[in-house]
Amino acid sequence: MTESSANKPANGQVCHRVKNGVKPGRNGFIKNHHHYHHQQPMYCYPEDKVQHTTCNGSSGLGLYSRPFIESFEETPMLVAVLTYMGYGILTIFGYLRDFLRDWKIERCHVAREREEQRDFVPLYQDFENFYTRNLYMRIRDSWNRPICSVPGAKVDLVERVSPDYNWTFDYTGKVVEGVINMGSYNYLGFAENTGYCADASAEVTMKYGVGVASTRQEMGNLDRHEEMEELVAKFLGVESAMAFGMGFATNSMNIPALTGKGCLILSDELNHASLVLGARLSGSTIRVFKHNNMQSLEKMLRDAIVHGQPRTHRPWKKILILVEGIYSMEGSIVRLPEVIALKKRYRAYLYLDEAHSIGALGPGGRGVVDYFGLDPRDVDVMMGTFTKSFGAAGGYIGGRKELLEYLRSHSHSAVYAASMSPPVVEQIIASMKCIMGEDGTTLGRDRVQQLAENTLYFRRRLTEMGFIIYGNNDSPVVPMMLYMPAKIGAFGREMLKRNIGVVVVGFPATPIIESRARFCISAAHTKDMLDTALSVISEVGDLLQVKYSRHKRLPSLD
Amino acid sequence: MAFEDVWKKISWLYYQYILVTALYMLEPWERAIFNSILISVAGMAVYTGYVFMPQHIMAILQYFEMVQ
Repeated sequence: MTESSANKPANGQVCHRVKNGVKPGRNGFIKNHHHYHHQQPMYCYPEDKVQHTTCNGSSGLGLYSRPFIESFEETPMLVAVLTYMGYGILTIFGYLRDFLRDWKIERCHVAREREEQRDFVPLYQDFENFYTRNLYMRIRDSWNRPICSVPGAKVDLVERVSPDYNWTFDYTGKVVEGVINMGSYNYLGFAENTGYCADASAEVTMKYGVGVASTRQEMGNLDRHEEMEELVAKFLGVESAMAFGMGFATNSMNIPALTGKGCLILSDELNHASLVLGARLSGSTIRVFKHNNMQSLEKMLRDAIVHGQPRTHRPWKKILILVEGIYSMEGSIVRLPEVIALKKRYRAYLYLDEAHSIGALGPGGRGVVDYFGLDPRDVDVMMGTFTKSFGAAGGYIGGRKELLEYLRSHSHSAVYAASMSPPVVEQIIASMKCIMGEDGTTLGRDRVQQLAENTLYFRRRLTEMGFIIYGNNDSPVVPMMLYMPAKIGAFGREMLKRNIGVVVVGFPATPIIESRARFCISAAHTKDMLDTALSVISEVGDLLQVKYSRHKRLPSLD
Repeated sequence: MAFEDVWKKISWLYYQYILVTALYMLEPWERAIFNSILISVAGMAVYTGYVFMPQHIMAILQYFEMVQ
């Protein structure tokens, strides 16, 4: 494609528009390309992956109707070396402690074999738990914190202390009140105990009780379930929908019903454990493509169609692409327009897991399909959960009528699992009506807009402060890199001391050196709360020296 | 007052050292072991430098024929 001088930026920086088929850099990302509308000057490092894709009439792509900006800054070399060194020191001391425990010099708190069974084949694999015993236990007080109030924008925590370095906990009896909650998946703020949704759930509990005492197929199919499923189908824009009691079980029990031996599953590198489990249970061949990398996916599709099944070269019975709407550990949004274009071209099926993106993206809160402005009928199986944006529990699958009729009778979860509890169902109905605007107020729309504003503001301020933030600019999940193992524990504790509750994540949920703190923005957070949180994060960031970003950003005026 | 600031700065630097080497997660006796090993190795290196530096400098100067 020829580039006219009108397309070249005035300061002489080289700029290319992203197109499929352009020679990819490492890992499929095109390095160091900036869109020429970008206003702020940015010092760019060639190894950083910053993706800008826009579309106007003259660009090559034409699939995206809005800018798709995501960034995954490269780990600084010194930080990586120091992180490995830290893990090395911890490993050496771990070996020392294991030696002391083995020789009974130190008391062992871990599960051990009984004396009578000492010569049997060991039941507990000691070495596999090396990481848990020696690294996780030392900073365990940042996880599993008991809360004693509704997990809204502020939450109350039960205070606990540990006399023996986190092997056991004692409760002091006090409660830490008013902790700003940056960890709950409460995107639209529906986790509340007052208001229209809570009252509706309470009424329904009075009428139907709490337990259903049966499966959907036997006697557990309430009229509330039917109403909820119709409402979900209307919300998503699909023909029919079905709900299950547990989001994890929705994935792991329904994928085996959709594919079997002789089918091919193309799953993203960073898919959730439920998708991986469902794919493995189905018995299909699984091939993994690089995270959000459309060149890799296209190559795999072409190989699959050209070569067929491994030994017999027969064509695959079906090809299913498993992607998620928002990947919660990275904060990245799937490139849905390109996936749908590929799926149509190569005649594959698409399974979209919108656990984090339903309710949180899109002008109407209808998820990632709404965010990109696409047709929901293009996605064959739309799956999601009610846990994150609706303040309830459970999952759903939506799609064509024939698919849902098939799943109603063939899915393990539908046949064997108990049906959803009535107050939970009512919470879903009430919150969904609120988001769609059918309860007569604009509360839903206001919340969706508030979430979008909060997300943009929070991400912008954090990147200006100099932290390394992963993911797309529009995703309400904000992972902030910490890298070093001691800083994981230190960050969690220091934030709690200053009354902010965060979730910190390390290995094995993330790669070993890329540990992070993950913030989940909520529509229930007011700007004051966000400002307080941001100032505290900045303070702790300076104390711990986690402002690793090497891009210099000019702070904006608001 | 200047002593307070210096003490605070040293304290902060020690905190950074503890975080980077992951000693933050270890119990006090483990930190004591690691610090004593580190200080003894560093001390030995400094002592060796102190003892042998004059000989090394004389050898370098003789190699470059600046002094007999």
